[in-house]
Amino acid sequence: MHTEATAAQPDVSELDLVKRCQKGDSGAFDELVTRYRTRVFGMVYNMVHNEQDAWDLAQDSFLKAWKSIGRFRGKSSFYTWLYRIVMNVTIDWVRKKQIKGTGAEFDDAIQLREIDPASKTVPKPDALPSENMERGEIRGQIDRAIAQLSPEHRAVILMKEIEDMQYNEIAEALGCSIGTVMSRLFYARKKLQNLLKDVYENI
Amino acid sequence: MKTFEEKWTAWLDDELAGAELAAFELSLPDRAAAEAEKASTRKLRLLLKRELSPSVMTNEEFFNHQVRERIAGDEASTSTRGARSTWWTVPRLLWSGAVSVVVFVLCAVWVMQDSEPLEPSPSLTQVLNAKLDPTVGPDATMTMFEAKEDRVTVLWTEGLKSLPSDYAAK
Repeated sequence: MHTEATAAQPDVSELDLVKRCQKGDSGAFDELVTRYRTRVFGMVYNMVHNEQDAWDLAQDSFLKAWKSIGRFRGKSSFYTWLYRIVMNVTIDWVRKKQIKGTGAEFDDAIQLREIDPASKTVPKPDALPSENMERGEIRGQIDRAIAQLSPEHRAVILMKEIEDMQYNEIAEALGCSIGTVMSRLFYARKKLQNLLKDVYENI
Repeated sequence: MKTFEEKWTAWLDDELAGAELAAFELSLPDRAAAEAEKASTRKLRLLLKRELSPSVMTNEEFFNHQVRERIAGDEASTSTRGARSTWWTVPRLLWSGAVSVVVFVLCAVWVMQDSEPLEPSPSLTQVLNAKLDPTVGPDATMTMFEAKEDRVTVLWTEGLKSLPSDYAAK
């Protein structure tokens, strides 16, 4: 698992940082945030497709992690434990949004408006405008396809395909069995294959 | 016992091995179609990885700053709540107990004073009787008042047309 820790940072083990956090050292927690913020933000963004919401939910997740870090016993990796919080926060949010019925969770207008090309949290394009447009269209198709999955299926496919997490790690993060993870993965892949076949067969 | 979906997923992810792998591959009705599906899944994975992998945040320090601020704010509000809750337990309990005792004592004193018998008013007149023979005057009323202090009794009549002879003072 890659982290944002660089050579310039002291090589402090994650467990040490967690122990310091448990003693109330917010500086240690700051370092954990630094290590995982990009991945957490990216994961949440892929779940909710909105930069501001992803920013807020990622922060909510870290705040929740800080509040409950005293209960972390080290049975799993910190990242798996953190992911469980992130997934709970995000899936709850998506469900509430669906219940509220705020219209289409994701559509072209929202996508174009909310993913600001100049935004600091998305990569600034270096490619040609035509390439950017094509990439933007592909990204839009993928986002729309993922938006058609249930929050649980989204979480499973993103953790497996983007984060390369193992079945048992995903199961732990989502609080379900490994069999459930595999079953969800089966149906999520089937659906995405149907929706995106034209995209990945032509690139 | 794994379901077909679980075995299929594990097979796509190259997570099946040994006898389990051999048994699953033998059970596939169309091996070529299954391999095509596996290749398709691999392409999907590559596409998702290419398009959805997280990029480096360039405003990451602001993110940390906001998280730190929220933690500090949360801890401040928690400590304020904690202090307030202490105030609301011990001192408030003492105060409410003391006030309750004072109110009880005042009420008790007032009730005890109130229960003492009142002196009868010297000017009080008391209605003692009111009756009249209906044959003498059906609409007439007669009331008798007595003022003990003055040792006087007053008969008050209304509606009598004439005073019967046997009513006359002798």
